[in-house]
Formats: sequence, C-alpha cells, structure tokens
Amino acid sequence: MPTPGAGARMTLLILLAVILQVSGLGQIRVLGGNVDLVALLVIGVAFFAGAVPGALCGFFAGFLLDAAIGGNLGASSLVLTAVGYGTGRYAEVRRPAHGLAPLAVTAAASACYVLAFAAVSFMLEVSAAVSAGVLREMAMTVLLNTALALPVFALVRRLLRPVLVVDPFERRRRARTRDAGPLGLRGLEV
Amino acid sequence: MHDRQVVRRRRAALAVLVGLSLVLLTAYFGESPGGTLHAIERGAQEALAPIEEGATRALKPVRDTIGWFGDVLEAKGDNEELRREKEVLQRRLAEAEVAARDAGELRQLVGLPRFTGYPAETEPVTARIIARSPTVWYSAVQIDKGSSSGIREDMPVVAAASDPEGTGGLAGRVVSVTPHTARVILITDAESAVSAQVFPDGANGIVKPEVGRPSDLLLDFIQRGRKVKKGDTVVTSGFRTGDIESLFPRGIPIGTVTKVDPGELELYQKVHVKPFADLRRMNFVQVVTRRGARQEVAEVKAP
Repeated sequence: MPTPGAGARMTLLILLAVILQVSGLGQIRVLGGNVDLVALLVIGVAFFAGAVPGALCGFFAGFLLDAAIGGNLGASSLVLTAVGYGTGRYAEVRRPAHGLAPLAVTAAASACYVLAFAAVSFMLEVSAAVSAGVLREMAMTVLLNTALALPVFALVRRLLRPVLVVDPFERRRRARTRDAGPLGLRGLEV
Repeated sequence: MHDRQVVRRRRAALAVLVGLSLVLLTAYFGESPGGTLHAIERGAQEALAPIEEGATRALKPVRDTIGWFGDVLEAKGDNEELRREKEVLQRRLAEAEVAARDAGELRQLVGLPRFTGYPAETEPVTARIIARSPTVWYSAVQIDKGSSSGIREDMPVVAAASDPEGTGGLAGRVVSVTPHTARVILITDAESAVSAQVFPDGANGIVKPEVGRPSDLLLDFIQRGRKVKKGDTVVTSGFRTGDIESLFPRGIPIGTVTKVDPGELELYQKVHVKPFADLRRMNFVQVVTRRGARQEVAEVKAP
C-alpha cells in the first residue's frame, strides 16, 4: 500500500485534476478541442513514479472522472490504467531524463489515450454517425496536452518529489557517478 | 529471482486494475438505474457538486477570456454569413407576423390557449452548469438543481443561443436526479435521438448527432419527396401513439436547416441542422418542468 504521504499527494492531485477538468477545462474549447488534464496528470505521475503508481493513479482518476460526470463507470478507468502503466513502463525501461522528454512522452501517451478511448466508446455504445471532425478534436487534445505538459509535469514533480524513490531529472545529474535506481513511490515498491 | 518477483507483482497489479475496470464496466451496464453503482455515482455527484459549483464560478473569468479569443476568430468568418441570414430572416419575420396575427384570430375563434414558443403548461427552472463531460464521445452536463427544485428524469432541457438576440432551443434531457443536482444528456450525445418536425413543410424525422461536430445535427428519415430547404426551422414533434408519447413535448425549437443532402441511392434525405442552443458555451440551462401531461413516457429511438 502507498505510504500516507504518497497516497495523500496522489489523492490531492487526482481530485484537483478531475474538478478542474469537469468544472473548467472541459468547457474551454480551443480550435475545436480541449485539454484533458486528467490524462495529463496520469501521464505525469507515471513518468515520475513508474508503472504501478501510474496504473493506480489512472484507475482512481478514471473512476472519479466517470463518477463526477455520470459516465460509464469503468470506461475511463480501463483506458487510463493502461495509459498509466504503459507510460510508467516506458519511463522505467528507457529512463528519459532530458528536460524536454515530457513533451514527447505526453504526445505519444495522449495519442494512445484518445485512440483507446475512442475504441472503447465505439465498442460500448456509439451508434451515431461519426464525423471526420472527431479526428481534429483528438489531434487538438494531443496538441494541447503536449503544450501544457511542462507546467503540469513540474507541478506533479513538485508535489510528488518528497515521496519519489528516484527523481528521473535528479538521476540525470547523478548518473555519471552512481547507478540509478528504479522509479516508484515510497511504500509502493513492487 | 528478485527481478522475476518484481515483474510478477507488477503484472499482477496491472491485471487486478484492468480486471476491476472490466468488472465495473460490466456491472454498470448490467444493473438498473437504481443499482449500487448508479447510487455510488449519484452520491459522488452530490458530494462533488458544491466544489464543482465553486470551481465553475471561480474559473469563469478564465473561460470567458479564452472564449473571447475564440469568438474573435470565429466572428470574422460568421459576419458575411450573418448578413445573408439577416436578409432572409427579415423576410421571414414579415411572413411570421402575418401568420401569427392570423393564428391569433383563429385561436380566438376555436377557444385554444395562447401559445408563444415553449409548450403550454410548463414552468422552466433555471440551473447553472457545474460540470461537463470532457470527451467528444459523451455529451453530458451536470446542473446545480435537482429533485428539490421539481426536476425529474426525462424532463426536456433548453438553453440560450450564442447570439443574445437569438431564440435558443432544445439542449437535451434529464437522465438522473439527486436532491440538488441533475445530469443532462445533450442532443449531441451519441445515444441521443429526438423526434422532430420541419416547418413549414411539416416533414417528420429523427434528429441525431454527428460525433465530432457539435454544431451540426443530422435530421434523418425525411423522405426524398418532402420539400425541406435551407433556413427551415426544426422543432420537436412531440408525437403520441396510444400509450407511447415522446419524451419531448411538441414545439420546442431545435435548430435551423443548414444543408439538405438528397442522397442519390437513398430512400431518405439527410438534412443538416444547426442547433439554436449554443451547446458548447452554455453556462445556464432551463429545465422544462411541469409538463402537465401524463408521466408515462417512452424514449424515442431511431428505427
């Protein structure tokens, strides 16, 4: 189980992201798309904390998001769990430590998220015609998420830093002198 | 050895979370609206409502600022189109005034109640939108009024137009209610279908959304022979067949016809409709309560 510190920080981040998303960001449309802060948060947590915390964050953020707006419970959890796990595994295996790595990781993970969510939505209940405009919306979400990646990652890092087993950006500096350890949250090592 | 254990635990954690998600999804779809998961969902909405309401108010200046930039960009393109529409509307206004005068006289003759827009025997309850679905696949909003304000499931919801002088129109319907909140599925939701009628021709069809184009609805099942043209008004038809009655009462404006696609080999025309209600930027809606009709209603489903 996560330590109280790690759990509290994750809970705070998830609550903040879901409330901001459904009350504010979800209503702001930029060139036909909008930012998906919840997905961005899950990607950020997975980047810094690894696969299991990323998957956990994805599951609970998805659950709360669906519950808050009355969506199909489990749909967002399923997709965000997979995105969190995948991003976390990438961060664990490739150990991206470059300052601009969040941009590439967010672009790729957001693209996977919107595509996977579209696939799940199709399988679940979409019976209406689908316009090509949906592709533009998905592309805009990826672009906007990427544009916001650096500040969101900085916030996530700042909040999680005290409970991170290893900070990927710190590891870059120390890598020359000693071996870098695995990612994770204290109390949630697997 | 240690690495294998780590890999096993990590995979087990993933399997448990994915399994839980699938169980949730299956159970949610399988249970009735009064089931446990739906109750948990309503509880979460009720608990989060005050926070969402506060956040909605606090973030309004930010939304407005960003919206202003979007409006400026869109306004340039809309200007020319609006000039043309104005000319058409002025002509139609003159026709409508004559028709209204005639209708008033006829009503007096037959003793019918006066009707000026929304259906008679209804009382709108104004509510603020406090949460909105973040994906294009699922168009729903949460409002800050619920059963304590007289709102019940399946009540129609209307919203204002983007133009301050515009009419506004149908936005969706209430699908679940808690004492202080309600969830509204918009007419742009993938599952939405509204029985509608085109004026002045009177052709009946079903208004359905096109996912990815929130400002464009499709009016389907209009037979090819019917004369539907750009600028015609689409309203809810509010049909009643025996005990089956449409969820939406007759006469709620939905939108205006923007394009008619006859379809070479198809039996029906595809009519594109621009909704009157500004579904993307609305902050307030009105729930049309007290329909005055029987409560036995059935959802309109496309054939």
